[in-house]
Amino acid sequence: MVTEEELEHVSKLMRIDVDDHKEFIEKVHAMIDYFDILDSAGVESEEISMPEISLSNLRKDEYIPFDDKLIEKLNHYKGTYVRAPKMSS
Amino acid sequence: MIGLEIHCQLTNLNSKLFCPCKANYRGFEINENICPICIGLPGSMPRLNQEAVKKATIIAMALNCSTPEKIAFFRKNYFYPDLPKNFQITQLNIYGDTSVGGTGSVMVGDKKINITRIQLEEDPGRLIYEGSSSKNQITLVDYNRAGTPLVEIVTEPDFETPKEVRDFLNILSDILENLGVADPSLEGAMRADANVSIKGGKKVEIKNIGSFHDLEKAVHFEITRQESLHSREIEIIQETRHWDDKRKITVSSRSKEEELDYRYFLEGDIPWVIIDPATKTKLISEMPESIVSKKERYVSKYHIPAQVADVLSSDKYYSDLFEDSHTESNAKEIANIITTDLMGLVDTREKREASKLTPHHLKDLADSIQSSKLSRNSSKNALHEILKTGKDLSIIIKELDLGNVSDESELSGIITQVISEEAQAVEQTRSNPQTINYLVGKVMQKTKGKADPTLTLNLLKKQIGI
Amino acid sequence: MNLKISALDYIQEVKIGNISAEDFVAKTLEQIHNEDDKLHAFLSVNEKAVDQARDIDKKIKSGEKVGDCFGMPISIKDNLCIKDSKTTCASKMLENFIAPYDATVIRKLKQQDAIFVGKVNMDEFAMGLTTEFSAFGPSKNPWNNDCVPGGSSGGSAVSVSAFECVASLGSDTGGSVRNPASFCSAVGFKPTYGLISRFGLISYANSIEQIGPLTRTVKDTAFMLNMISGIDPNDNTTIDNKNEDYLSGIDSGIEGKKIGIIKEMIGEGIDPAVLSATKDAISKLESLGAICEEISLDMVKYSVAAYYTITATEAGSNLARYDNIRYGYDFPLEGYEFNSYISKARRNFGPEVTRRMIIGGFVPSSGQAGKYFLKALKVKSKLTNEINDAFKRFDLLLSPTVPVLPFKLGEKIDDPVSLFLVDINTVTANLTEKPAISVPFAISNGLPIGIQLMADTLQDKQLLQAAYALEQTVRLPEVPL
Repeated sequence: MVTEEELEHVSKLMRIDVDDHKEFIEKVHAMIDYFDILDSAGVESEEISMPEISLSNLRKDEYIPFDDKLIEKLNHYKGTYVRAPKMSS
Repeated sequence: MIGLEIHCQLTNLNSKLFCPCKANYRGFEINENICPICIGLPGSMPRLNQEAVKKATIIAMALNCSTPEKIAFFRKNYFYPDLPKNFQITQLNIYGDTSVGGTGSVMVGDKKINITRIQLEEDPGRLIYEGSSSKNQITLVDYNRAGTPLVEIVTEPDFETPKEVRDFLNILSDILENLGVADPSLEGAMRADANVSIKGGKKVEIKNIGSFHDLEKAVHFEITRQESLHSREIEIIQETRHWDDKRKITVSSRSKEEELDYRYFLEGDIPWVIIDPATKTKLISEMPESIVSKKERYVSKYHIPAQVADVLSSDKYYSDLFEDSHTESNAKEIANIITTDLMGLVDTREKREASKLTPHHLKDLADSIQSSKLSRNSSKNALHEILKTGKDLSIIIKELDLGNVSDESELSGIITQVISEEAQAVEQTRSNPQTINYLVGKVMQKTKGKADPTLTLNLLKKQIGI
Repeated sequence: MNLKISALDYIQEVKIGNISAEDFVAKTLEQIHNEDDKLHAFLSVNEKAVDQARDIDKKIKSGEKVGDCFGMPISIKDNLCIKDSKTTCASKMLENFIAPYDATVIRKLKQQDAIFVGKVNMDEFAMGLTTEFSAFGPSKNPWNNDCVPGGSSGGSAVSVSAFECVASLGSDTGGSVRNPASFCSAVGFKPTYGLISRFGLISYANSIEQIGPLTRTVKDTAFMLNMISGIDPNDNTTIDNKNEDYLSGIDSGIEGKKIGIIKEMIGEGIDPAVLSATKDAISKLESLGAICEEISLDMVKYSVAAYYTITATEAGSNLARYDNIRYGYDFPLEGYEFNSYISKARRNFGPEVTRRMIIGGFVPSSGQAGKYFLKALKVKSKLTNEINDAFKRFDLLLSPTVPVLPFKLGEKIDDPVSLFLVDINTVTANLTEKPAISVPFAISNGLPIGIQLMADTLQDKQLLQAAYALEQTVRLPEVPL
């Protein structure tokens, strides 16, 4: 059972402030509760598999500059820096 | 006990880990070396650099690490402005050994330092803080470095002293340089985190150490700090500290570790990469000769003294020059020129870059000394001029008039002159043979040191009749 | 000018000079202007489309080589990047985002002289199955404007079935192409994972999603697949399909093919009309010589929970980059500290995206991964094994695409868990990387029903042949615009 505190902690971790707090928690709660069905799937011994690629099919090591001045299309500041908020020290 | 996490940029690659931007970001305008992939724009996907995987594998092999058949990439999720995607693509061993290198070891003198793991990952961007007070502080980001291929070498906590750390780092940078994968002298190319704990204390992690030089200092500072706490019976808490490279101290980080949960999971945009045995064999065959094996060869084949061989083999710049210039007969002379004359002249990265010396020059120098065309003394002057101008040795000898006077008739004339001027000394040679050295010196004076010493001695003896 | 023709008919008509690309595209834009106030399929319209069509007409007249699309007007889901165009993902977070590059599928279609008439609506970041979670308002089902068009590629399905384009590209993470295709009576196709490059598709859950076409006919889907499939160096997960021609032999029929009817997909909660349409489809296929038999796939009942666990985890990570620092909407950062700034900036995500990101932070977290995320991955593995076993016995698997009929706008929006169950028939193909298609099959009380066929990995061509055979068994009424 997920607690409200856990969900508040996670919303902090995910860096999203939440409006309509109560309704929000209720819905997320219901969704996560539904996932409890996974407990009865009996899959503990399953292996996890992933697609594979051979080394030679990966990108060759070539320098190709991007054809546009990309920074001009992004938020920039003091010339061509990107500006971020101050960091808590 | 000290354990290290060393981050080494693969500066010798052409492109970044997941995009074709330049791997060596130095020298670009701010945010000029970026593209939709390394800036993490919506819709972009990583395109893994095969050479980066190969280079990382070679590093693993050189550090005697196991290398798996398949490697996997994971996402390490956390928010920071230098991370364009707010996650870092890195490696882990949570579904078996899937990082590029497994356990291995390096010998530091007689001590074995164990390697836990080697992983390939992307470097974040660079942050610049402006403004003095926290109120007006602003954060500026340059993403040119974001996505630079980085190899992280994680060691076991096997070090006991800062000196062991330093010795290990020296050996490690020599190995990395010898492999041709990285240039440790580039600023920021080698960085490290260290875990330090003393007996009875908790583990303290020191992050953000920007050079190997500072790493030793940071470890030393931290041990002293912990011992001082311990002696005053103050508890050493488990924490993360940052290395303040201006004040040269470690500072407690206020960011709470418990607020981090990296939520590692497999990066779905990169399939598991198969590194088959044939590929590994090929990589091994292409690996440069190891420093240890080079040294042994220099000693056994060319009878170069062990200490000289050590210097020569461990610095890639010198050993490359040696390899490209030496022959069976001149090897010792070239080793000598490199380790006695050249080393003082090219002791910095800038000087090496400015130098116009080629292996061909070295070969000419050694041959000229061996055939007595050039005195050892003059060869130093010639070397100096070669570094500056890159001109052929023969031209430099002519221009600076450095060549040995080995023409018998010319030398005989000078000797006749000296004998007539130094009648007393000539007389003395008959009772005290050592006096002849005085006469050789006089000949040298007149020839500005260019007289072939052996020939001069023989001619002197002949003319005086002793 | 008849806008209701198929893509292949359009190409034929332009080729022989019966119609011009300019006239057809102009008429299509007119249709958008007439219908879209009501339907809201489009988020932006390409005002240069007619000029572009004129250029293609010129090429045709001068005998220059013309791409295979001949100026065909296509709509594009707004999570696919078109260079120098707005790409919003129907999110306030990306309201002003202009893509600086083309997605691979866009580049390929441009090379074949397709014309993009506009970017179409979707659930925000493709999270949803009704298009009601678009930050810019829902789209309406052209068959009944009170009903949802399905989602998340709702705008794609609406634009195809309301003749606002001849074909569309959507993306399918758990049914997001097939579900709206079924609800709007269009053909919707989710290919084998890796058949179409995802480069330039804004990720929601990248390990299982695929771009897919929505068209008016199965043949058009095969044609679109010819245009956009194939290995792409920009996407390491693409597979080499050896330039397969999906159109050739599409009428090969299904005689002798073995079709498994998935028991878990016609069970509890199914609408009787959907069940009877499914039975009808089975008997029609049998009459064409197919052999149909029921099959049970145990893992299907866990598939939706596994699906949401995996997709939320990946979404939580894929959407982390939206911190409003490098690009985004206007929200000054003065006075804020980094974490508080981005936490506030990220309030611009809609409620469903926010919920899923919180879930995406929870289910793979260090204390919970074992209970949720790892189990979900294992269900995915086991389900894949079950499906692979099934394809040893069967050539195809069949089910209704969606177990229910299109429902009313607002009906399920406040009940996320009841929405989960609408996905039950579609997520399996995504979790197992198999190709799947929704074929329009019936209209019940004025609402469309689609039948889903699934095939084994890389059997996309065989799947299209079966879908074509099924399509030929019915003549459906025209959409009542």
